[in-house]
Amino acid sequence: MNELLSNLKQLLEMTAAWWSNLSLLFNSPSTIGFDDIYTLLVRWVFPLLAVGILVRCIPPLLRNRGCERIWGYLEVPGSIKIPIRHWEVSLGRSKLSDIVINLPFISRNHAVLAYSRDSWTITDLGSKGGVSINGQNIEGKGEVHAGDTISLGGAEFRLLAVEEGNDDLDATRRRTWLSEWGEGIAPGKTFLLLLLFQVLGAFQLYFTMPEETKRTILLTVAVFIAAECFYYVIAFLCSRKHLELELLAFFLCGLNLFVVAADVPNQLLKQLIAIIIGMVVFCILQFILRDMERARKLKYILAAGALVLLAANLVFGEVRFGGRNWINLGFITFQPMEFVKVAFVLAGTATLDRMLTTRNITAFIAFAGTCIGALIIMRDLGTAVVFFGAFLVIAFMRSGDLRTIAYALAAAVLGALAAITFMPYVASRFEAWGNVWQYANTIGYQQTRTMIAAASGGLLGVGGGNGFLVNVPAADTDLVFGLLCEEWGLIVALTAVLTVVFMSLFAVFLVRGCNSAFYAIAASGTATIYLIQTALNVFGSVDLLPLTGITLPFVSNGGSSMIASWALLAFIKAADSRSRPDVNESGRLF
Amino acid sequence: MKLLTRRALAILVLALAVICGILFFTVRYLGEASKWVQHAANQHLYKNGKLKASGTIYDRNGEILMETVDGIVRYHENPAVRAALMHAVGDADGHVVTGARVAWGKRLAGWNLLQGAYRFNRGLSHPGSDIKMTLDAELCAIAYNSLQGRKGAVGVYNYKTGEILCMVSTPTFDPQYPPDIDKDPERYEGVYINRFLSAAYTPGSVFKLVTAAAAIDNLENIDSTVFQCNSKTVIDGEYVTCPTAHGRVDFKEALAKSCNVAFAQIALAVGADTLQAYADKAGFNSSLEVNGIKTKAGQVNLKNAQRPDLAWAGIGQYTNTANPLNLMVFMGTIANDGVRVEPKLIKDSWLLRLLQTVVPRERVLSPETAIRLGSMMRNNVLSSYGEGNYRGLELCAKSGTAEVGGDRMPHAWFAGYMQREDCPLAFVVVVENGGGGSKVAGPIARKVLQAAVSRYAGE
Ligand SMILES: [Zn+2]
Repeated sequence: MNELLSNLKQLLEMTAAWWSNLSLLFNSPSTIGFDDIYTLLVRWVFPLLAVGILVRCIPPLLRNRGCERIWGYLEVPGSIKIPIRHWEVSLGRSKLSDIVINLPFISRNHAVLAYSRDSWTITDLGSKGGVSINGQNIEGKGEVHAGDTISLGGAEFRLLAVEEGNDDLDATRRRTWLSEWGEGIAPGKTFLLLLLFQVLGAFQLYFTMPEETKRTILLTVAVFIAAECFYYVIAFLCSRKHLELELLAFFLCGLNLFVVAADVPNQLLKQLIAIIIGMVVFCILQFILRDMERARKLKYILAAGALVLLAANLVFGEVRFGGRNWINLGFITFQPMEFVKVAFVLAGTATLDRMLTTRNITAFIAFAGTCIGALIIMRDLGTAVVFFGAFLVIAFMRSGDLRTIAYALAAAVLGALAAITFMPYVASRFEAWGNVWQYANTIGYQQTRTMIAAASGGLLGVGGGNGFLVNVPAADTDLVFGLLCEEWGLIVALTAVLTVVFMSLFAVFLVRGCNSAFYAIAASGTATIYLIQTALNVFGSVDLLPLTGITLPFVSNGGSSMIASWALLAFIKAADSRSRPDVNESGRLF
Repeated sequence: MKLLTRRALAILVLALAVICGILFFTVRYLGEASKWVQHAANQHLYKNGKLKASGTIYDRNGEILMETVDGIVRYHENPAVRAALMHAVGDADGHVVTGARVAWGKRLAGWNLLQGAYRFNRGLSHPGSDIKMTLDAELCAIAYNSLQGRKGAVGVYNYKTGEILCMVSTPTFDPQYPPDIDKDPERYEGVYINRFLSAAYTPGSVFKLVTAAAAIDNLENIDSTVFQCNSKTVIDGEYVTCPTAHGRVDFKEALAKSCNVAFAQIALAVGADTLQAYADKAGFNSSLEVNGIKTKAGQVNLKNAQRPDLAWAGIGQYTNTANPLNLMVFMGTIANDGVRVEPKLIKDSWLLRLLQTVVPRERVLSPETAIRLGSMMRNNVLSSYGEGNYRGLELCAKSGTAEVGGDRMPHAWFAGYMQREDCPLAFVVVVENGGGGSKVAGPIARKVLQAAVSRYAGE
């Protein structure tokens, strides 16, 4: 009861404070500028819009589980037709097979049937009973055509092609409350809310920032909005997929521009270019990933490129902010490890047949070891943790072997302990951790300032451009969460963080409906990287974890990081094989 | 994809961990943001380590106790009021941690959870940061003057509403012109401590009220018992003494004459466990919270008390200590028929007052016990302290002369309440090493209460 009373009391005090703000407006005789009134009003609008945008994006994205298309049928002669809903399906007695055949002479994992470029192949997974096509036994892989009979250890099936005109939507799809709700939310309106958020935010900064940067801010946001509109219209007309994922990325990029505008306005142009390059890379990657053959080639090219980048970084790397993870090409500087991340995720992928035939992931382990080793030499421990986490998850997705993962984890913990003991610069990070207020002006400087600034913002923020955290080093990158809290309020900052978390959850949600294991693993790797980066960045800045200097995906200032975030997003997008509900209907824009 | 769907749950675990972390941070933020924001490095609120601006502190009648004009702090125009309220308002350097400037610093600085440190029009102060206290500046000044430079504390509060009208602690100084404290350590001993909230003294005979409450509830034949006082009694080889032989006294007379011999026997009859329970009920061993300011807890610990210890404890000696505010609230509890009203220093808004009418309050004593104690306290005034000294106050009170050992003078206590519907005030006065309770502390209480009656009676 007393608690309730004190809560009510606080609420009352808040309301009183707000009213008194308003009353000041009418009582104060002089010097109230339009900009003051603007900030007073719009700071109530930002949290509403931010939460609204995120909430409106969730139901459409989660409205159905995918598997909308049927790629063929497996007919048990004289009996049922089993629809094939993925490009790769496993056949076997195991409960986790996509098509469970519960016959005693079928192995647990018997075979994988795969579809690529209008042709079918079947791969024997080393089954006892063997696989034969039209009576001929095959070794390993064999091509199958529509109408062929496949025999798994004696059990016969016929592969049927999909009849014309009946291959599209699965009529039996279950409708849930989420799909009902999701259909009612038009992406166009969400997009308009997003634009409103960005326009209002840009003017907020226009009013508070110094004269010489005002025009740059408006111009940058205007070009960004134009790019968003361009993408949205083109994607709406050409793509069958849901667009909410990009809307969420746009929301985060908008915040990124606000952060850069408040902290380092002279980097706005660079950041804008990075966003646009990111969007282009996102589109190109999506196009390449649509075809499995192209995707596989890309994997090897990128892996090779990554090794070159790594070597270059080790040789020509420049030291900045404590880590030797920058390359300077004279006209441009970038962080190669951000791009290696993309190659890393792709290197871990495999199609279902390869995943189940060669359980050996030595090549990937070697690649991961090289990356992580290089990162430790570069003294970029935070990124090493990101890579290691992604490695663990991908290795687990590939092998399903918990014991190996546990060994790897144990080895890493031992390694970390050794690093803390023997490397002084690591030890000092850990010394501050949890005690930053004791070292408020030395090694806890950044974390305490982040917390002070975040607290100063309250739920609504002091208004973009009004913060003081911008005076603290790395406010736009490592401490970006604090900057968001201070200037745009706790609600907007938490919404931004939850947006990244939701993107990762969405990737997990997509796995069941993926056409190929390749997409599922790539999306999972991306989700892991987003999650670990978010945790290290946000929790590091507020002293729940040691401060490691990791960027928050999409939000932190940094060209390489922005482009890599978009490139990784392409993996999540590629995993989504579903079509929007409106595509087959009117195709309305808003 | 069933296999991978299963394995992807690993990421779900990771995501859950991140969400838990976010929740943890949010909870911590809601709890501690008010502390973080008051760091001197906060450029929204501080400049060169000094608060840029602050809200105005008013007394209950709208007198300005402290205001910041163009970055300069100004106090009340009357030097006596300034000195009397130094502990309530706080000093410039924040040494008085229970003062408004420290205790409600975030509010004065203009911070709240929703708005953060945002200031409209970059204004120096906004009304949401102002504080209206329940104190009456003039009453405090009268109390301060009555103390005449002696060390001690005076408190008065309304036992129906909980509003503290008077809170004075001495030694004190004029915060507008702070003296050099180190030059006169004797005079300014513990000057930054608000003795009313943060000190605990041996209670002496005022504690007999707690023993009496235990006796009323637990000793069936207390009314018919007659005690024989020959100025001393022996308990397990230890003497408990009275200043004079009180002769044959009953329970009521024992309290009025503050007979140690009688109360030592009552304490023994009640027993350590029961006395401990009544001391705890009366608010000993726990600190109160007054608008977020924690008071120092008085102590009564009878765990290892031998029989002589118990006897001494029953008359407020032994290791007992009492916090003045806590004792005052106990007086208010007796006055309010056994129901405790939480004290407060900040005026509530009308809506909160409305809310509080439906909030149940804690009953500490049964109504019969409280009324019985009250009538005995009234009898104290009529038969011992002299109604003539307190005419018109309808005073119920108990004095205390707490021995502190050595050759130091005893602490003088006077505590009680007025039995007036139109002026329901409870009070406590303590003068450090002042001497006899009713003789030294009584007149201070009289001056303050008479002023209070003339200002508020009939309101
Ligand atoms: Zn006696």
